[in-house]
Amino acid sequence: MPREAEPSLNEKTFVLQALQEKLRLDGREFDQYRPLELTFGEEYGVAEVSLGKTKVLAKASAEVTVPYPDRPLDGVFQISTELSPMASPAFEVNRPTETEVLLSRLLEKTVRRSGALDTESLCLVAGQKCWSVRVDVHVLSHDGNLIDACCFAVVAALRHFKKADTSIEGGVLTVYTPAEREPVPLGWLHSPFCVTWSVFGEEGDIAILDATRAEEQVRVGSCTISLNRHGEICQIAKLGGTAVEAIALLNCTGIALTKAKELSSYLDGKLAEDAKRRDKSGRAELLTAENDRVTG
Amino acid sequence: MPLDTSAYNLALLRVDGRRWNELRRIHAQIRTQPAADGSSYLEMGHTKVMCVVTGPSESGARRVGTTGGAAAGALGSGGGGSRDGDAEVVVSVVLAGFSSVDRKRRGRNDKGILELQSTISSALSSSLHTHLYPRSTISISLHVLSQDGSLLAALLNAATLACIDAGIAMTDYVAACTAGSTSTYAANDEKADPLLDMNHQEEQELPGLTVATLGQSDRVIVLVCESRVQVSRLEGMLAVGVDGCKQVRDIMDKVVREKGRRMLEEGAIEKGVGLEDMDLD
Repeated sequence: MPREAEPSLNEKTFVLQALQEKLRLDGREFDQYRPLELTFGEEYGVAEVSLGKTKVLAKASAEVTVPYPDRPLDGVFQISTELSPMASPAFEVNRPTETEVLLSRLLEKTVRRSGALDTESLCLVAGQKCWSVRVDVHVLSHDGNLIDACCFAVVAALRHFKKADTSIEGGVLTVYTPAEREPVPLGWLHSPFCVTWSVFGEEGDIAILDATRAEEQVRVGSCTISLNRHGEICQIAKLGGTAVEAIALLNCTGIALTKAKELSSYLDGKLAEDAKRRDKSGRAELLTAENDRVTG
Repeated sequence: MPLDTSAYNLALLRVDGRRWNELRRIHAQIRTQPAADGSSYLEMGHTKVMCVVTGPSESGARRVGTTGGAAAGALGSGGGGSRDGDAEVVVSVVLAGFSSVDRKRRGRNDKGILELQSTISSALSSSLHTHLYPRSTISISLHVLSQDGSLLAALLNAATLACIDAGIAMTDYVAACTAGSTSTYAANDEKADPLLDMNHQEEQELPGLTVATLGQSDRVIVLVCESRVQVSRLEGMLAVGVDGCKQVRDIMDKVVREKGRRMLEEGAIEKGVGLEDMDLD
């Protein structure tokens, strides 16, 4: 099995000593993200996120399937992550590493279990037909902080995604092509964002946001906090690692909330921009069959 | 099964009759398995777990040239101490089929269990002095006999006790418990009480988190929250959780000291040098 090259002793000391002197290799502040960029594809539901040199692509898709027998009124929603050798030599195809398992669990808890997507709205005929929404996350380039980038990509892809409009008449389900009817967006309830703190030092007293890969390799612990802009925590995961003062964790949560709000407004801006670009005729308002709904 | 949480406000009593700051009964034993290097049995209310520690022992040939957690397949996952020269902590968790109400088949690669294993491994290796046991493996196997909430906390506590029994050098106890809040995420009511040590019913209904601290300190090793909750609730829940961890730590300490005293009395071990004037009670 391939193994990731460990940083040399010199590199380790260099990074750590710089952090002790409140410096980061790329000159950022401790609570500063690398430049975040989001581009939507031509299709609905394709989002490419780059955070410094980390690049993630998420694609949402939907098809009509049979709902699970124990949940006849819910649609199916799944997120699948793929860490290929393209991202790092330590990843292998079809053999999930610990990183991948933890990443997909985190995305699942953040987006699925927090109820960001209204799965009941995916139901078409109770117990017989429903939409199955699926997001595939591909990591194209790995330079640290995969979690935040992946979570942002998933949320962006889902918010951008539109599924085909449907109608049911006399028990017959019709799925319309985009030419017949304007596709409809998903029932979206709130947008959670992951903010990951990396912890350094014997006492775990140095905490930084958006660690690069070099920083991740020498960190002694991490804490991922997922929040939405309404100030709700969707998930916290500090899975072991060096002990950190409880007060420091509370401070981290406070800063994470402001970051989540920034991410949220950035995404809103990008979505509005994209909608405007697509709406050449200026008649999108008229074509939509969407009802007013408070979305987050 | 919906739990009528509104009843709490009438008498300030929870479904099982506890007040907000009360732990369930914790019963623990160490050295339960004669064949193991270290073993423990722990009950937190109706959550019952057993733990067996083997090691530190020589790493098997299968580990050569692999990274931590790579051998996750059959023998659990190890996260911590994967650096060359440090002992590796490999954890495997088995949920007995009869442990919960519904008998759910879980595959070997159930992500929830893998996450539990890697959390326990990483939490313990931060307290264990893994650098003292170079090139060796500490394997911890945990068996869940009965589940009634606070599973991760019970597993962490049992693993800590078993490591102490195995005589592995460690900084301090890793003590864990859960805390919740009586408010749901939607309700922004200020009167919501934090709750200590949630049982299964409460975990289903209310937001909560699992905290593990290092001994008596306020330093948090594990903090896991899987439910939606207002940020303002976090402080109260964390404070109650950290306080609960201190109580749990004292209970575990009592168990260890009592066992040590009994073993001395029975002559199973000899009093070590410098222990003559040590207060064993």
